[in-house]
Amino acid sequence: MHTLLTLGELLLFPGLAYLVTVALLLAWVDRKALAVLQGRVGPPIYQPLADLLKLLGKEDLDTEGSDARLAALLPMISLACALTAGLMTPVGNHAVISFEGDLMVTLFLLSVPTLGLFLAGWIVPSVYNMLGGNRSLLQYFCYEVPLLLGLAGPAALARTWRLAALMSAQSAYHWHVLAMPVGFAVATLGLIGKLERVPLDTPHAKAEIGAGPLTEYSGRKLALWRLTAWVQTLVGINLMVAVYLGGADVVWPYWGFGVYAVKVVGYMGGLALVQALYARLRVDQVAEMSWRLLVPLGLLQLAVTVWMGA
Amino acid sequence: MSRVTVPIGPQHPLLKEPIALRLDVVGERVVAAEIEIGYVHRGLERLLQERTFQQGVAVVERICGICSHAHTTAYCQAVEALIDVDLPPRAAAIRTLLCELERLHSHLLWLGVLSEAIGFTTVFMYAWRDREQVLDAMELISGGRIAHGANVVGGVREDVSPAQAREVLTMLRQLEMQLGLYQELVERDRSFHRRTRGIAVLSAAQVQAYGVVGPMARASGATLDIRRSAPYAAYGWLEVPAAVTNEGDVWARAWTRVQELQHSIDLCRTLLSALPAGPLARRVAERVQAGEAVSRVEAPRGELFYYVRSEGERTAARVKARTPTLPALLAMAELLPGLQTGDIAAVVAGCDLCMACADR
Repeated sequence: MHTLLTLGELLLFPGLAYLVTVALLLAWVDRKALAVLQGRVGPPIYQPLADLLKLLGKEDLDTEGSDARLAALLPMISLACALTAGLMTPVGNHAVISFEGDLMVTLFLLSVPTLGLFLAGWIVPSVYNMLGGNRSLLQYFCYEVPLLLGLAGPAALARTWRLAALMSAQSAYHWHVLAMPVGFAVATLGLIGKLERVPLDTPHAKAEIGAGPLTEYSGRKLALWRLTAWVQTLVGINLMVAVYLGGADVVWPYWGFGVYAVKVVGYMGGLALVQALYARLRVDQVAEMSWRLLVPLGLLQLAVTVWMGA
Repeated sequence: MSRVTVPIGPQHPLLKEPIALRLDVVGERVVAAEIEIGYVHRGLERLLQERTFQQGVAVVERICGICSHAHTTAYCQAVEALIDVDLPPRAAAIRTLLCELERLHSHLLWLGVLSEAIGFTTVFMYAWRDREQVLDAMELISGGRIAHGANVVGGVREDVSPAQAREVLTMLRQLEMQLGLYQELVERDRSFHRRTRGIAVLSAAQVQAYGVVGPMARASGATLDIRRSAPYAAYGWLEVPAAVTNEGDVWARAWTRVQELQHSIDLCRTLLSALPAGPLARRVAERVQAGEAVSRVEAPRGELFYYVRSEGERTAARVKARTPTLPALLAMAELLPGLQTGDIAAVVAGCDLCMACADR
């Protein structure tokens, strides 16, 4: 019975089926919000699913000169890591896996797709893929530290690296974003870099290098990469909601889930707003912003938190 | 770091028209650039030698999908000079009105293309939405969004009724309200400045050397504007302000065009408020006396030059167009080396190339 229940959690709720469904819905929220902000109509709610199914059915080409097995393996590993990370971030107020240090493991699992993307670009003998892969890796060195510093603040304040404990530390609406707005901003920008969204989307800047590391990919492989990106978005937002926005404030299960869902959609809308308001940064500007601005600010926030907490 | 060749074009998301750029890149920096053109050469100048002078208007209209009216205006002027017919005032005013509407939609299109190149999709969507209104107005007057068919040798074919004039004025008012957004964008938006300021600076000397024309030249301090230096059609009665700045970078090209948007709106208003009465066109003979003529028009991208030679036949002996994209291409070849790969898009989009015009 217990095994069956765990299997259900892994495959249905809040595992695979739930994560994929919500990731697709969130992708729609993102596109619709951006469309509304830009004065467009935007896609219907099933569009991300339709895109995914269409891509899955398309011919899957292997580029000459690339390692076909590795090319097929990389998106699977990346998607698996993103989904596993999804099991650790609380949905509502419940995570399938919860232990001391799960925040760090989630962050680690979320970096695997970036490295996979770099490799995926690198193994294809095309300049767009190579340049895109290079930029992916360069950006990785830019956003990872600010993201970690941004998330370390609340962890230092609550004296725990466990997401469930971080959420309960914010009970009675003592959200961390109120105490540490600078850390929240730094972590959000780090997350935007991780998700490769405007203004930090140089790895796949369409006007410069086509689709970047994924330029030569098609069919199922491309579909899996897309899905990975969407699941990553969901997990990243889950993480921010749990660490900074109090997760599901209320314990009563259904109501708590509703509160959590509103926060996730709201955060997604915020990311869409940022996308609508800014132009893409150049690679050197990304590095400059992250190391000259975000890292010092993150460190300052952390130092203040530790000093106040001591 | 190894040297790689990044091919941009003939088919690439950055480009709206086929042109091939071969950029040698070391790391993130362009060290050499090679440009190849000719992908949309259709032999239209040759075709013009097979058509009568009046039929030629339809051919030159199809040289370019953006500045089609500027092409027909320049061509008609040259033929009108050959047969020595004077343009009725009402025809001159309507021609000029369409010229300015065309400038509006061309500049808005350019602003959208540039914004998309630097990843600013919101401005792209807004600019192209507003451009749609101008196209609607042009359709209202001429029945065509892109190919207007409004010019004929000796005048124009389409009249502007008082009701149409009112509708176009309403459109202009709405567009002017949106214009504040673009003014704000070029004056203040830091995100926009970061990607356009100080990039690909074209000096006044380079403008001279390559014969760069239009907004690109005016962004580098040149005052050249055919509407003011050699007024044609109704420009002689109008006061055309100059939008000149000395920065010479991509930002300056945006600033110049946004100022010109306002100027064009004002010019359209002036024309619509006092359209002269009279005939729309003069009747002209099909056969054109022997001789040669040139005409110059300020197209949205700059000076457009036409040469027409007649040997007394029903068809032209030679028609030659020199389009503003040609010097822009030459200047771009010099601007590209030394850029970061991230700036290529902004620079190529910023040069406002029209390959269909350049290749013909």
